[in-house]
Amino acid sequence: MNRLNFKILVVGLLFSTGVYVTSCKSKTKDESTQASADTTAVTPVPSAPVEIAADDALTTGVKDATKDHPGVNATVNNGEITLTGNIERSKLPDLMQTLNSLKPKKINNQLTIK
Amino acid sequence: MALQDKYKELINAASAAGVQNLQVREQDNVLYIDGEAATGQIKDNLWAIYNKIDPDFRAGDLIMNINVSAMAAGARAKVTTASSNLNIRKGPGTDQPIVGKAEHNSTVTLVSKMNDQWWLVRTDQGEEGYAYAQYLAVQ
Repeated sequence: MNRLNFKILVVGLLFSTGVYVTSCKSKTKDESTQASADTTAVTPVPSAPVEIAADDALTTGVKDATKDHPGVNATVNNGEITLTGNIERSKLPDLMQTLNSLKPKKINNQLTIK
Repeated sequence: MALQDKYKELINAASAAGVQNLQVREQDNVLYIDGEAATGQIKDNLWAIYNKIDPDFRAGDLIMNINVSAMAAGARAKVTTASSNLNIRKGPGTDQPIVGKAEHNSTVTLVSKMNDQWWLVRTDQGEEGYAYAQYLAVQ
């Protein structure tokens, strides 16, 4: 029985060493592949295109956003919001935050700042 | 890549502040930064940096949409209007009839989010309807 146990132990040791060596080999290989991928980064990770809201949704959103800013006129065309009229500087960030959340393509700020 | 350089301080600040699902994309000469900030304070800070890099937001080369993850159903939010009471409407839109008011500086419960602009809320008086998200801040 003791001899059998010893054999099992030896086989086990050999096996685990084998696994260890194999895992080491593949790790080294992975690292080298990664290193070369890093230095030759020619294919950027594809990211989803930016979602732009439709003009109808933008027009509704812009109407709501400018309701409490009586001096501000806003038009929507092809995803772009154009702001004209006037606003107090302290109120501009709130308006811009809301307009930015509507997912427009671009905001043309032509407001006169009071 | 030029726009990412221009707004580098902003992008770095968003990363450092732990903004979740941060996406920085450039398309047709406009940079789009999207993500979720834990608090309104982080969002305000990012907007302050934006305003510093591009004073009065004149350049038209950045669309930044940072949501606040603390704005979640069940949370309590303060009504942050300048001085007036906040309209509570039947539906999500300023063309919808007003069904109630939430007092300036009062607190309401967020019931469910319609979109980034409109939340279904409930006042402590039990009035329920849609309110404009810009005037709600989770404490």
